[in-house]
Amino acid sequence: MEGWIGGSASTTRVVGWDTAGVTTRLRECWSAVRFLVAGAGTSLLSLFALAGLFAVLLLCPFGVGIPSLAPAIRLARWPVGVDRGRAARKLGEPIPEPYRDGSPLKDPATRRDLAWLAIHAATGMIVGVLAFGLPLGALQQVITAFVWPLVPGGIEGSLGIVVDSWPHAALDLLVAAAMAAASLQLPRVARWQARTAQRLLRPPPGVVRADRVAELTATRAAALEAHGAELRRIERDLHDGAQARIAAVVLQLGIAGQLYDRDPATARDLLVKAQDTATDALAELRTVVRSIYPPLLSERGLAGAVRALAERSPVPATVSVEYETGRPAAVEAAAYFVVAEVLANVTKHADASQVDIVLGGTASVLCLDIRDDGRGGADESRGSGLAGIRRRAEAFDGTLTLTSPPGGPTVLRVELPCGS
Amino acid sequence: MRVVIAEDDALLREGLSLLLKTAGIEVAAAVDNAEDFLAFIEGERPDAVVMDVRMPPTHRDEGLRAAVRAREIHPALPVLVLSAHVETSYAVELLADGVGGVGYLLKERVGKVERFLDALRRVAGGGTAMDPEVIGRLMARRRAADPLEALTAREREVLGLMAEGYNNSTIAELLVVSDGAVLKHIRNIFAKLGLPSDEGGGHRRVLAVLAYLGRDAG
Repeated sequence: MEGWIGGSASTTRVVGWDTAGVTTRLRECWSAVRFLVAGAGTSLLSLFALAGLFAVLLLCPFGVGIPSLAPAIRLARWPVGVDRGRAARKLGEPIPEPYRDGSPLKDPATRRDLAWLAIHAATGMIVGVLAFGLPLGALQQVITAFVWPLVPGGIEGSLGIVVDSWPHAALDLLVAAAMAAASLQLPRVARWQARTAQRLLRPPPGVVRADRVAELTATRAAALEAHGAELRRIERDLHDGAQARIAAVVLQLGIAGQLYDRDPATARDLLVKAQDTATDALAELRTVVRSIYPPLLSERGLAGAVRALAERSPVPATVSVEYETGRPAAVEAAAYFVVAEVLANVTKHADASQVDIVLGGTASVLCLDIRDDGRGGADESRGSGLAGIRRRAEAFDGTLTLTSPPGGPTVLRVELPCGS
Repeated sequence: MRVVIAEDDALLREGLSLLLKTAGIEVAAAVDNAEDFLAFIEGERPDAVVMDVRMPPTHRDEGLRAAVRAREIHPALPVLVLSAHVETSYAVELLADGVGGVGYLLKERVGKVERFLDALRRVAGGGTAMDPEVIGRLMARRRAADPLEALTAREREVLGLMAEGYNNSTIAELLVVSDGAVLKHIRNIFAKLGLPSDEGGGHRRVLAVLAYLGRDAG
């Protein structure tokens, strides 16, 4: 009894297939078919690219080939790039280009490109044809198995079976089942192709790390240089300004003390002078303090300080804050000075009537988006303060992205990592 | 006059107390943080408050916020804010309620004792006392088609002093001109800036000028 119930349950499971699962599976197969059929096209491209490269290689002994080798390799990067894009879309994650500046002959990525071209030229076409043929073949066999009685002399199916009787038709259905089963494996094949492309066409992990180290070393050197220059400027400002004035105050007070009994009127004048000199010293100290860390930042935080900048801007500016918690003081100060510099730039060059500033990002990165409706055409190489903004960002391992087509609008984005 | 001092720097707090007492002004309390100040204010209304911006525990803008809060508890409570630096946005916030009785000065202005006491009395009387640096910055802000550019150098001077909170006779004294000349300048300024003329003077006139200068700034 129990055994019978168990059997019935298992039958139900087979018959009552979960329909959602089936649709997902079919959708996967359909997407795999499209991916692999497109792959057949790029496989053909790969074959042409390889053949072309081989031809150039054959010409090398005659002298013409050698100078053409590097351009030919660069040209072959185009079909490789198409496959990189296909694989990235399939896997849903970007695959960065591994190429380095300089000769492609010395680039380790070239060897990996060639490996991919060879693998894909050899397999892509076959797999693509199978992806197209297997599901269609299965469908054809099923139709044949049922319509043969209508055709005099039977129908010739695949594998040389002539379907002219029901036993033959049953055999034909078996073939159809095999083809359908094979078709169900197509998503796996598609994933294999995409993964192979990803493995060969992305920068190898070691290379990524080495590039990153080189980049960090360069920005760290620049940051140290900038920091050194900043320290020297502060020292000079204090030395020539406040420090010199306070020394004068001490001198004036000393003389006033000496004259106090003999010449009270002059002593009094000197006291007033000393007070004025001390007041000037304070004004200079305020200027230096503002250039190091604006007091508004500690009193109001970044959002408050940026709002104050916007209020002061001659070009009307709005500030919206999408994310703000206390970031490291150095990062906030850098962001503040970036906004100040950008607003000064916009005022001077952009001929804009409106600036919109967005403070956003996450806990680990601070994002600044500044957009103006000015005339655009901002060019970093023309020394409009943009290079300084980029240096400021890079000192924090941050980035500056600028789009400024002629006619505007100019959109500037600065991202500053917050070291967490 | 009874004054409350809120200032965390002991030297400055003691100095201020001494200075006020010498001038015959009673110091009702001298505290070093915003909470103690607000606790005192809950109990009684002094004639004026002298307030530092940055105080414990967070050393941010608690003094300024306490000043705004105190004016909610006692509307139009005269407040003279002192700070090591001045920000135009703070000035705009302090003036926002439009009732006057507000001062905002750099700390070192205390050194010019007579001027400082005059500013404190002006604020206690419902007037204003704005630091020349605040006014300078407000006037330096460039605007599109700036009407300030239509003013003569003398008129700009008069406008600046007016915005600091001085009355006509003090302005005349400071510029060494006659009261009549000052009056003429003021009439010209109001006409050029398109402000409603207010022959009576007083703090409402100052507020109108400051509102004009601080426009779009808050």
